Amino acid sequence: MDFDSDVPMEDAVQDQLDPSLGTATAFVATESNASSNITQLDEWIDQLSKCQPLSEENVKRLCKMAIEVLQFEENVQPVAVPVTICGDVHGQFHDLMELFKIGGPCPDTNYLFMGDYVDRGYYSVETVSYLVAMKVRYPNRITILRGNHESRQITQVYGFYDECLRKYGSAVVWKLFTDLFDYFPITALVDNKIFCLHGGLSPMIETIDQVRDLNRVQEVPHEGPMCDLLWSDPDDRGGWGISPRGAGFTFGQDISEQFNHTNDLSLIARAHQLVMEGYSWSHQELVVTIFSAPNYCYRCGNQAAIMEVDENHERQFLQYDPSVRPGEPTVTRKTPDYFL
Amino acid sequence: MSTPENELYPLALLMDELKHEDVANRVNAMSKIETIARALGAERTKTELLPFLTDVTQDDEDEVFSVLAEKLALFPKLLPSQADIPDLLPVCEILASMEEPIVRDNAIASLNTIAESMTDAQLTSSFVEMLDRLSNGDWFSNRVAACGLYKSVLLKLEPTEMRKNLLNLYLKLVQDEAPMVRRAAATNLPHLIDLLATTLNGTAQPDHVDWEILSAMFTSLTGDDQDSVKFLSIDVLIAILEFFTASHDASHGEELLGSAVKLIEDESWRVRYMAADRFEKIARNFDAAQVRALVPHFVALTKDNEAEVRKAVAKQLPGFALLLKDQALIISDLLPFVDELSDDPAEVVRSALASEIAGLAPILGKDATTTYLLPIYTQMLKDEFPEVRLNIISKLNIVNGVIGSTKLSNELLPSIKQLADDKQWRVRLAIIEYIPLLSEQLGVQFFDKELGLLCMSWLWDSVYSIREAAVNNLEKLSEIFGATWAKEEILSRILHADQHDATGADVPNMNNFVYRITALFALTKLIPNLTTEIVVEDILPFVNKLAKDQVPNIRFNVAKAYLVIAQMLTKTGAEVVQAQVLPNLAVLEADADVDVRFFANKSINEVKKLIAA
Repeated sequence: MDFDSDVPMEDAVQDQLDPSLGTATAFVATESNASSNITQLDEWIDQLSKCQPLSEENVKRLCKMAIEVLQFEENVQPVAVPVTICGDVHGQFHDLMELFKIGGPCPDTNYLFMGDYVDRGYYSVETVSYLVAMKVRYPNRITILRGNHESRQITQVYGFYDECLRKYGSAVVWKLFTDLFDYFPITALVDNKIFCLHGGLSPMIETIDQVRDLNRVQEVPHEGPMCDLLWSDPDDRGGWGISPRGAGFTFGQDISEQFNHTNDLSLIARAHQLVMEGYSWSHQELVVTIFSAPNYCYRCGNQAAIMEVDENHERQFLQYDPSVRPGEPTVTRKTPDYFL
Repeated sequence: MSTPENELYPLALLMDELKHEDVANRVNAMSKIETIARALGAERTKTELLPFLTDVTQDDEDEVFSVLAEKLALFPKLLPSQADIPDLLPVCEILASMEEPIVRDNAIASLNTIAESMTDAQLTSSFVEMLDRLSNGDWFSNRVAACGLYKSVLLKLEPTEMRKNLLNLYLKLVQDEAPMVRRAAATNLPHLIDLLATTLNGTAQPDHVDWEILSAMFTSLTGDDQDSVKFLSIDVLIAILEFFTASHDASHGEELLGSAVKLIEDESWRVRYMAADRFEKIARNFDAAQVRALVPHFVALTKDNEAEVRKAVAKQLPGFALLLKDQALIISDLLPFVDELSDDPAEVVRSALASEIAGLAPILGKDATTTYLLPIYTQMLKDEFPEVRLNIISKLNIVNGVIGSTKLSNELLPSIKQLADDKQWRVRLAIIEYIPLLSEQLGVQFFDKELGLLCMSWLWDSVYSIREAAVNNLEKLSEIFGATWAKEEILSRILHADQHDATGADVPNMNNFVYRITALFALTKLIPNLTTEIVVEDILPFVNKLAKDQVPNIRFNVAKAYLVIAQMLTKTGAEVVQAQVLPNLAVLEADADVDVRFFANKSINEVKKLIAA
């Protein structure tokens, strides 16, 4: 198939070009073009960090800029070390700010988020706007993957749609973001050793190259490899199992062993499941679950965690509790067991 | 300019939208009602839009009513003349009588706004007539609405007789058969009393009849059989007390003290909670002897069965002690119970006490604080609940001011050291933020011996906010102790961190990115407090090395650090800026990473501006 002439391919390969004379001037051109965008983005980030949503018009501009960045990322986005890997956030904006207090501010610290920015929490709009704005401002410093909640269908049930309607009076912003979600990369590979994704493995994917062959720019399908990557869970039972979620599969230790061996990986890092300590090992440390929404849904009483991976592949987990918000009553009551 | 067809268009469009089957569209249309009114012009707003809106109130959803109720506040200026403003009242009255609280509250708020633009004559006639109708309404929601409207007319009615009638009407609401109405009446009553107080101007005596009616209202509320009404009488009591304080009338003091005590001892814990929560406000309006008489009742609340009551009263401790003024009495009658509260079984009570107990120190003075309060602080610093420890630490500076640092440090240093590696990072943060204050008073020798290593170890904490606070702490310390001290005690430890294992401190590993970037942050922060020589000889070589770091995040922070170095050196070391800083920045400006290029470019521009200036 021919290249679509609308797509400015030069941006995509910009960073790999030799800084010879010709391309150096190209840099200057793009970077001076970008400087007004940078001022604009810094203003938006400043506004969003106070938990004030952008106007509909600005969300539109932001999403347009984000597509320019995200469409050139790969299905398996390469990520360098050091990086701090994070799990579900689910619209808990103030806890996301707490996360940055623990791990350090972006861009000084590099971040990899493994999806589920929206739904459940009260500030999905602010949360996803903030992360997308950071992504556009510092594309090399932050990676945002797609979670199963970054989907038109799911957000209509679990809160993001209603929140957009409430905060903007129409579904326009919801449409802009869910259209943008189609461009989010679905997996990342940290220094060729840690495979990061929202859900888990798929029986239709044996090698990472097979992920690279998928066409990801679409609504999350109901079945098939892309669906599985965003929906599956590790399980104590071996082999493939039917997932109680109704989408994706469960996979056993034998599957993880085979996958990590085939692809020369040291670890699969994923999110998608509430874990009380914020992180949880499975399959004899072949798989780790990371969950970054403390006191999930404002009632689960769980800790959150992030995983720092330094340049020598040393890992450190940092756990944290919900942010302290002055003036808000804190509920210390323990969650009844039946909820978990 | 516009044809008649065009003129009809906005209203027709609004009506279409207001009849849309989707509620969201109707709400949306209603929120644009001001624009529509402006498009129609004042005359047609009065003759067409208002009747239409009145029709709307007959049949729609609460969401639409709520928006309409809110928007009606804008209408006085949209009507042709002042004389037309009363025309707004009927539609507001319908909305204010609705059962949905949001609609009702919006309508009440709008009615009060509209009342501001009405003349006294209009208020006395149409508004009071409406108030009368609502107050005597058959349905409870009318009477609830009435309660919120008295404040707009109470002071406007000059013939005193009318005001009396109005207050008597309100008394009926206070004694209404429906608890919802009594609740609304009780909630609004303090505001009405405040309004009456403003007429006194601090000199005149309160009107006798007014007071009798108010007194009847208060008595009725304190005897109410519903807790949810009765506990509102605490705020009424405070308003009455302030009313008499404002009029310098102490003749009702004893009578009101009796009422206060009755409420404090009430059998319902919600009433006792309200009394505890506002104890200082109540006590403030009594004379010294009466305040003393309240002591046993205060103590009784600290022993209440309900933790919430004990928590509320614990927070009133410094305020009440300040009113008592009598140090001996505080020590003999209050402190034993403070001690008991500090060991309360409920953590919320201990936490509340911890946040307020420091306020007792200035009242008690140096000796009494040392003898009686320090043991309590020490004990609470060891509390198993982190919030208790945190609350104590964050107020230590108040205690510090009273008893001086030597005493405090001898007593508390062991606890502080223990908390320095508390597993709650906010406790560690509170300790760090307290360090500069402490070290200023302790002096350099004592500091180096007791706290030096601790301050360095926070630099390598796993939580970023602690590392950041540690960096800021070092900056403040170098400000206090000077450049030479900073070089010997801080720089040497950071620059040669790898070789410092002999000291026994946590040994940072410079192979780790987090350590390198923290070292860079710390050095950059220290630069303004150092000498040119130290910056050129010690810091610059280290920064130059990091300029070639493999991690881009380090390199763009080096670019930022070069600007700080240049700012320091423009006056005394301009040649170093030319020879080292600018060439190195130029290399970074051609970096492979876009963020490094960005920050290098930004620094170069700033440095060039510095040189030019």
